[in-house]
Amino acid sequence: MTVLQQLRRRTNATALVTGVLAMGAIAVIGCAKGKEGSQASGDSGTASTGGGATSGQKPFVIAMIAKASTNPVFLSARKGAEFAADSLSKVYNRPIKIDWRTPPQEDGQIQAQRVAEAVNDGVDAILIAVSDAGKVTGAINDAVARGVPVMTFDSDAPQSKRFSFYGGDSHEIGAQTMDELAKVMHGKGNVAILGGNQNAPNLQQRVQGAKDAAAKYPGLKVIGAFYHVEIPQEAAAEVVRVTNANPQINGWCFIGGWPLWTRTLLTQIDTTKVKVVSVDALPAELDYLDRGLVPVLLAQPTYIWGTTSVGIIVDHVMQKKDVPAFVKMPLIRVTKDSLGVWARQLKAWGFDDVDQRYLAMK
Amino acid sequence: MRVAVRDVLGSQQFGLTAIIVLLGIVLTFAAGSHTDAAGVTHNNFLNSYTLIQVATDASFFAIMAVGATLVIVSGGIDLSVGAVYAVAGVTMALVLRAVGPVSPTATVLIGMVTALGVGLLSGLLNGAMVVGLNVHPFIITLGTMWVLRGISFVSSHAESILVPPSLMMAAKATLGLGGALSPIPMLAMILVTIVGSIYLTRTVMGRHIVAVGGNPEASRFSGLRLGRVQIGVYVLSGLTAGIATFLGASFYGSASCADANGYELYVIASAVVGGASLTGGKGSAVSATLGAILIVMMRQAIRTMHLDQNYEWIIVGTAIIVAVVLDRHGTTLLARRMARRATKGVGPADARVASSEAPPSVMVS
Repeated sequence: MTVLQQLRRRTNATALVTGVLAMGAIAVIGCAKGKEGSQASGDSGTASTGGGATSGQKPFVIAMIAKASTNPVFLSARKGAEFAADSLSKVYNRPIKIDWRTPPQEDGQIQAQRVAEAVNDGVDAILIAVSDAGKVTGAINDAVARGVPVMTFDSDAPQSKRFSFYGGDSHEIGAQTMDELAKVMHGKGNVAILGGNQNAPNLQQRVQGAKDAAAKYPGLKVIGAFYHVEIPQEAAAEVVRVTNANPQINGWCFIGGWPLWTRTLLTQIDTTKVKVVSVDALPAELDYLDRGLVPVLLAQPTYIWGTTSVGIIVDHVMQKKDVPAFVKMPLIRVTKDSLGVWARQLKAWGFDDVDQRYLAMK
Repeated sequence: MRVAVRDVLGSQQFGLTAIIVLLGIVLTFAAGSHTDAAGVTHNNFLNSYTLIQVATDASFFAIMAVGATLVIVSGGIDLSVGAVYAVAGVTMALVLRAVGPVSPTATVLIGMVTALGVGLLSGLLNGAMVVGLNVHPFIITLGTMWVLRGISFVSSHAESILVPPSLMMAAKATLGLGGALSPIPMLAMILVTIVGSIYLTRTVMGRHIVAVGGNPEASRFSGLRLGRVQIGVYVLSGLTAGIATFLGASFYGSASCADANGYELYVIASAVVGGASLTGGKGSAVSATLGAILIVMMRQAIRTMHLDQNYEWIIVGTAIIVAVVLDRHGTTLLARRMARRATKGVGPADARVASSEAPPSVMVS
């Protein structure tokens, strides 16, 4: 046997074994998945169905594509969507399924691919929080052209043919956050804005809203807007870096709660000097509220992203009802006084990591 | 005739193709089906939309993987392909925005020249620094990865810049297939693969790349200009990233600094799963493309079968490690076997071949 033949034989075997192992892994995971059922948390796949009374009918499948499956706000939205799907299955006597297709990290191109895949798989509707409107608009329009209605939540693709958007007015959210910070700081001081992913149009608008609101207070000086990968550790590190580099900062306007999902700022920031107002109020953020570094949190009802959006889709697609093109989501103001009530609300929405101390508060 | 059939059946491409077909058969049976609005039942995997979707998703990785394979065969590595993709796409979108409305043909030409030109220049920068500074390409391309990503970030103001609709219409042309079937990225992938394969296996420059990667010292003593070959492969890698971004930005309708973030790992994975040796001297453009298709099919399998998508990274990562480990062990075993044959009196020339793995001229499949 020549060297060439031996090499060919060997590399052929490499490819064969690699492929077989990959298929084996897929099969093993498939079996494991089958044993687990579809209720595992934080995973993917088709979950949530109606009860036994609705079995036997063709399910109504909603593909849900949030921005990132590593972001807890979208896991909460998923729980809300699955709850609504369960409830509405019983109301309309037809199984409704949520087909979770969220990429692990934010990537507009991957989202566009997931939209196309969902259409190819024959879903009945698509619910998407858009990471990059420029990338996803074409895919949404293609889906609509192929008869699959699309709704957006949290972050919109306004130029697309989606039939409705559920979310906050981003500019208003940013402005409200800065207004709350201005109240805490009595209208004077040096503030910085934490902006998250600079590519997300909704976050860009929030930052602009915060800047516009700050302009109303002559005593407030905006040091700058700072952006980062939307990973909690990255966000917290960015806040520490900027604060250390700009010791004059005594107020932070977080237009998303990313850094507060770590405990970093409890020890790395001088809580007697710096005050923070932040959008989002997830369980990990409650410590900051309790200890006074963050006097006000503006909660997005992330669970309701899921429940309301699924309700709108069912109304529009299954029930053929007219729905508004924009459904506005209000923010919920959370302070130390309402900590107990809010903690119990989070628990009711399926967050399992709410501290018992806060659940026991009045 | 028997030899030709045996060669085909024994080739690496046949092995990869067989795996892809096998995986496709498994998916066809496991995927289930759905009924569309017209009452027609479609298999969830074996339908024209999904198959072209898989090829489209693979095409952007595969085109870059062809360029990356040339670099890997030469003994180098290019970590900057994702960043080159981003900077070329952003530059193209900014240039088209600055030019304003022109005819569709002019739009396509300006976009193509810009994207390919920026890709080529970025590759030239990589190659010139690797050769000129005599620093390991891992370090140089790691640095340029950040620099180019930063340039695209600053120049775009992190905005997702829309490209003219005529560019999107061109990239999404159905070419008579009808519906929403858009085969342009797939056809571009096939074309780049064919050109890359011919270049690597049938041209003098391609043979020089293999020789340099297989044994740089011997190549130097043979009179090959190593620097020129090295610069050439980085230029080609940048060029393929430019082609990929031209297609990608046109197909998806915009370009941003976040594009292709982390794609370099998929690109290198495609080349490695396709059998390219990270020690140089071995690799194939066709196999790299098949490697990209296999990786995308693994990802597709996870979604088609409604498995936990978080396993995607584990499956792809495992496949890469297994491929590299098997490749390394196979090479060692082959070298030992050849050495044993040589000591049994086959001849001194074969013994030398066995001790230095294998000569570059026989490493390309």
